[in-house]
Parts: sequence; structure tokens; C-alpha cells
Amino acid sequence: MSISAPRYVQSTVARVGRPWRILAIVEREVVRRATWGPLFAVALTWLIVVLETVVNVYFATVTGGSIGAAFETPYNSVIWVLFLLIVTATVGAGSLADDIGSRSITLYLSRPLRISDYLTAKASAIGTWLLIAGVAPGCVAAAITAALGYVSASAALAAVAGCFAVGLPTAIFFTGVALALSSLTRRSLYAGVGIFGTVLALGVSVGVVAGITGNNDLLYADIATDVQSIGAAAFGLPSPYPTDPVASTVVLALTGCVLALLAWWRLGRIEVVGE
Amino acid sequence: MSGELLRVDSVTKRFDQVEALSNLSVELAPGTVGLVGPNGSGKTTLLRLLMGLIPPSSGRLSVLGLDPQLEPLRVRERVGYMPEHDCLMPDLSAVGFVSFMGRLSGLSREVAISRAHDVLEFVGLREERYRKIREYSVGMRQRVKLAQAIVHDPPLCFLDEPTSGLDPEGREEMLRLIGVLAKLGGHSFVLSTHLLPDTEGLVDQVLLLNAGRPLAAGPVSELLSQRSTETVVRVKGDPTAFAAALTAGGVAVRFDGSDLKVQLPDGNTRRLFEAAYSTHTQVRYLGPSVRTVEDLFLSMIGGGSQGSGP
Repeated sequence: MSISAPRYVQSTVARVGRPWRILAIVEREVVRRATWGPLFAVALTWLIVVLETVVNVYFATVTGGSIGAAFETPYNSVIWVLFLLIVTATVGAGSLADDIGSRSITLYLSRPLRISDYLTAKASAIGTWLLIAGVAPGCVAAAITAALGYVSASAALAAVAGCFAVGLPTAIFFTGVALALSSLTRRSLYAGVGIFGTVLALGVSVGVVAGITGNNDLLYADIATDVQSIGAAAFGLPSPYPTDPVASTVVLALTGCVLALLAWWRLGRIEVVGE
Repeated sequence: MSGELLRVDSVTKRFDQVEALSNLSVELAPGTVGLVGPNGSGKTTLLRLLMGLIPPSSGRLSVLGLDPQLEPLRVRERVGYMPEHDCLMPDLSAVGFVSFMGRLSGLSREVAISRAHDVLEFVGLREERYRKIREYSVGMRQRVKLAQAIVHDPPLCFLDEPTSGLDPEGREEMLRLIGVLAKLGGHSFVLSTHLLPDTEGLVDQVLLLNAGRPLAAGPVSELLSQRSTETVVRVKGDPTAFAAALTAGGVAVRFDGSDLKVQLPDGNTRRLFEAAYSTHTQVRYLGPSVRTVEDLFLSMIGGGSQGSGP
């Protein structure tokens, strides 16, 4: 309690534009999600991708193997997808659900921000985490291999481009999944379980159904197959996967965008200000 | 401040089958406005409409000369909002939270932090401003809510039940802070409340709502000067029997604590003394009623507890 008479000083400062307000939410959201779970998942992803890539590239240079295949190795495994899924579930689940549950969404939307601004900020924050987990370690590994003299600078740059080619559509897809499922509940735990369960169940079930029916088009619904297909093409390797890499890229990016639109539609129907 | 604060032209808002606001028209000048009515009277719906968060089913609105449907962001840049319910961010300190809200309203990072310190000092949270909000009492949370509403120094603030959940001391302090801001000039307040005494001495205009319909609107002084025909009566003896005798004689009576408020049709006090004589009671005090917003509201919705016991 103040023991002095309240003093109020009026403010006459200029205001900054909407992009700065959106950036404020992005900053808050990125920092807010830096808890043990996501940090551990990101650290493990870095460890696996960087170590695996550097070691593989070293052996490829020694044995005269394919450098592209060495850079592609992390994306050829479901482990990378699994870790990104963990990051998505831990970072993205509470993205909207926490604000809906605590009703602090009222405070955001009573400010000079549109729902699309709010959602853009949330998507950017999730995307930032996914890029840190999914793209950055591949880029760092490429830089290390170039610095150690295993590959030329141009080969390292090509590898960085490959990392973005795989990482960007994957990040868009997972961001959309996180936003959509997080907008459906007030509890981040439910959203996290939903994200994990939906992606895993979809991957397993379409794999089984595609195996039984022989319809490989169904495999576009399996994120792991899409990532592997895009990864092979991104690093200049012949694809052994039944899906077309360009189509897989479009499927991932488009699905992510549609799911983000679903979240936008859902937020527009949430009661703001009162109950 | 001059000009128009709020204008509502024939606004109706329906939610499916429910009509939350019905053909509401009102024009209010800058100052402190009491938006008064019981729960479910349409106060929060009106606030949502005024901030451009929902569209009206029909009619037009204007806030500080701007249409909230056409320019919602410009309206919200000029408006501060203190919500009724607990919606703070418990993981942040008060200074972190208020400065974040300032940034969302368009302040730069440095200005937002500086303003957060200023307004938290103003609301009496100088010493506690670095503590996490989750550790705050209800009263402190209400102060943080007020601080975030004024951090960007808006010309208009919507305060939704600002004294909700506060103890008497906290309530008085909150109303005092609002009063200090209101007296500064340059700020207008819309104080939405179902606690009619909160508006006493604080608001200079009032909009009374009931079941989505306007009961009265305008300057408090004008509204209270109208229909000021009640007389306060204090009796020794059985006030219930006294009230019953008056009611039987066609006189409207309502209890106000231990007092009786009597509506004498012709201003003639003879009936009072006749009722006192017949019920063996003594009239110990007789005087004109000092009308309040609460009295006005009760008379508007039909006299409240006329003829009933205390």
C-alpha cells in the first residue's frame, strides 16, 4: 500500500505500429515457453543432428561417400520428426489454450490488435522454436563441417538450403497443428496430448491402410514419409519414397495454413471481455 | 475535454434468441459515466460493442468520434479496459505485465517500462511491483488491472466492476484512485457496475440499464433533481404496521434500512400522522429524501421493496 498521495503523470508519447506490438507478443511467447521440457527436447535434437551430421560427413569425405547423403541422414530418420513433435507439443500446446484458460486473451484482444495479429504472433513464436530445433542444428552442422575443412563453403551452403527446404514446410505444418488444437481447449495438457496423438495416430494408421490397400497417395498424410521424401530431394538424392517431394512440401505447408485458419475461425468465436 | 464521448444510435444486439440490448440510444459527454444495472442487464455487451469486439445486430455506435465497427484498432488505441474477471498473467511480475500491456497498446519498450513504474506507483504497488502476480492478493490484482488499463494514458477507460471482490477498505481505495484520475481532466471513465453505491459522488453522468433496455441516461444532477418527491420518515414503534397502514391508504412506502421512504401523492404529511395515530407509533423524524443513483434506479424499475418489510 502506498502511504503517499497518489501521483499521476500524463503521457504524451508517440505510438509504435502494429508490427512492434506483434513483436512484443512474439518475444514474450518465445521466452515464456523456455521451460525445461522444450529446452531439453531442443538440446537433444541439436546433439543428435549436429553430431550425426558432422560424423557422417567426416566418414563420407574419408571413404569418398555421398556428402549429400551424409547431410541428409538426420532427416532420413523418424527421430527428427519425433523430436520436432515433442517441441511442438511442449511449446505450442499452451500457446492459445493457456490464454483462453486464464482468460488473458481478453487483454490481448481489447488492445489495438486484430485476431490475425495475435495469431500471427503466436505462430511466429512456435515457428521460431521449431526453426531453432529443426533447421538451426543442420545449418550449424554444415558450418562446422565447412570450418573443419570437410566440405567446401558452397557444399555447406547447399546443405543449409537443404535444411531450410525440409525444415520450413515441417515447421509450418507443426505450427498449424499446434494452433488448431490449442484453440480447441482451455487446457494445454489436452492440446499437447492431442497434438502428439493426432500426428502419431495419423502416421501409423495411414501407413497400415496404405500397406493393405496399396494406395501410396495415402502416405501424404504421414508427416514422416513427407519429410523423408522432401529430405532426399533437398539434398540431391534419388528418392526411394513413394511420395513426390514437391507435392509433399505443398501438402505440409497447405495443411499448416488451413489449420492456422481453423484456429483463426475458432478464436473469432471466443467470448472476449465477459463470460 | 470537449465534444462527444459516446453515442449509441438505436443499437440492438441479439445472441441467437436472446436480445442482450434492445434499441438503445444514448449520447454521453466526456466525464465520468456510471454504466449501472443488475447482472445480465447488457453492460458487458455494451462495452464489447463500444470496443468493436462484436458487431451490433442493428444501429450505430461512436466512441470518441470513431466508429468501433469501422475503426476498431483506432478506438482501442484510445481506450483502456479494466476487465471484471481475473485474467492477469500470473507468471509475470507486475512491472513486466503492465509494461507488456503498454507495448501492446503501442508504447515503445523503454516508454512502456517507464510508464509501468509510474502507474504502479500511482496505484500503490511501488514496493511490490517486482513480485510475481500469482503471489498477489485480490486487492493487489485489482490495482494491477487498473494500472494496465491506464498505462498508455488513454483518454477513455472502461472499468468493468472495478471494486469486484474487494474488502471495504480496498473498495474505497480503488474508488479514490479512480476519483483522482477523473479529477485530473483529460480522462473519461465508464464505470460499469451493479454496485450502485460505487457510483455515488464519483460519476457525473449515468446510464441505467435493465434487461437490455435503457431506464435513464444523462447527467446525475439532472436525473436526481427529477421526481424527488420522497420523504424520509423514522418512527418509534412498529414500522411494519406503520408502513402497512400507509400502504392501505394508497401511499407508496419502501424501507431503507431502519428508515421509511414515503411517496406522498400531494405532499401532504397529514396521512403520515394519521397512520402513526392508528398504529400507536411516533414519528421521530420527517424530512426530504436525499436521492441517490440507487434510489433513482429502484424507482425506475418500479419502486423496489414498496410496502414490504425491512
